[in-house]
Amino acid sequence: METSASDTKKPIQIEIFPKRMMKPDTVEGLLNKLCSLEGIQRAFIQGPRLPTKVPFGPAVGTPVHHPLRTNVHFGKTEMGLEVLVGRITLELAGKEVMEEINAICVDTLPCDYDIREGRFIQTRQTVSDFAKRGPGADPVICGLYDPKSKVESQVNLLKTNEEE
Amino acid sequence: MAYEAQFYPGATSVAENRRKHMSGKVEKLREISDDDLTIILGHRVPGTDYPSTHPPLAEMGEPECSIRELVEPTDGAKAGDRIRYVQFVDSMYNAPSTPYFRTYNAAINFRGVDPGTLSGRQVVEARERDMEELAKFQLETEMTCPALACLRGASVHGHSLRLQEDGVMFDMLERVRLENGTIIVQKDQVGRPIDKKVDLGKPMSEEEAAKRTTIYRVDNVPYREDKEVLEWVHRIFEKRTMYGYKPAVQE
Repeated sequence: METSASDTKKPIQIEIFPKRMMKPDTVEGLLNKLCSLEGIQRAFIQGPRLPTKVPFGPAVGTPVHHPLRTNVHFGKTEMGLEVLVGRITLELAGKEVMEEINAICVDTLPCDYDIREGRFIQTRQTVSDFAKRGPGADPVICGLYDPKSKVESQVNLLKTNEEE
Repeated sequence: MAYEAQFYPGATSVAENRRKHMSGKVEKLREISDDDLTIILGHRVPGTDYPSTHPPLAEMGEPECSIRELVEPTDGAKAGDRIRYVQFVDSMYNAPSTPYFRTYNAAINFRGVDPGTLSGRQVVEARERDMEELAKFQLETEMTCPALACLRGASVHGHSLRLQEDGVMFDMLERVRLENGTIIVQKDQVGRPIDKKVDLGKPMSEEEAAKRTTIYRVDNVPYREDKEVLEWVHRIFEKRTMYGYKPAVQE
């Protein structure tokens, strides 16, 4: 019999889905508070991309200068935000921090939101991943990057005192 | 008694708004100058003459034709204007209009226009000054909320996404932005920066957008609550499926 993620010792994944797309300031505030919690192993943010240049049409190549494409700080780590964040997926060691996450969302988000539990980050390499990274790829970053891009451009390891 | 077109069935606010859009009897909410409209459209420099593809019809000497005598050409056709386009995008989050109802509005109330209806955008091609007349009508009236609808010649995908925190429809090219409570256009349809910022006025509040929308939504006016619309949709679907639009076969 299969067991669900919630009743085993395996990490569980949750998705925070606000009713509005979040500004960089909101994302920064929310993720900084989430970073302070124990037991969050991985985080994945998703949303529509903000291009630097007009990608197609008669004005192709014209600079966009989108004000929402900016740098945000998580603790000591600076990250370039290239998307307008629409949802945040977290991988947790256990369910103990769920209430705290809920409280942080209530404090930080300016709109209603949903929190769902499920499987949101891929667990195994796809064929494309394997072709790009080979058999020795780090399983921790599996599912956090696009196989066509460089890992450094899409995955950020947070700097902490212990240099985790 | 003269026949009065009914346009659309239904007793809800959404059905009433659909009737308004189709009949063209919509409320004017804002004023946009001709120059501002020309800047946003981006087809020509404001204040310049309309470029033409052929001489005015009066100078061309048209052949004898009963149809030409019967149908008066539009102003744009008379002057020999170029064909140009305007493309609207309406958010799925209670935008006042939708591609279908913009097309109904254009096809029923304007002559010489070629509306194209797509899932997320609606394009109208017409002679330049005819197109501008339609664009101005749809922009100035309750058919458009500046935050929930936008002129976009390219990259329209924000229509199906959740709104931004400030209530404006997402645009990856940021053609419009909310400044001091009003919507400012800073780029033309296709994303080229414009010299003059165009003020489209205040966006509709959430309540007003919900009141003026032509979109049925479960969180506003659910489609299944409009019994008359549902009955007519079922009736047309059944007739089309069973009898190929030949109701006489049924009897």
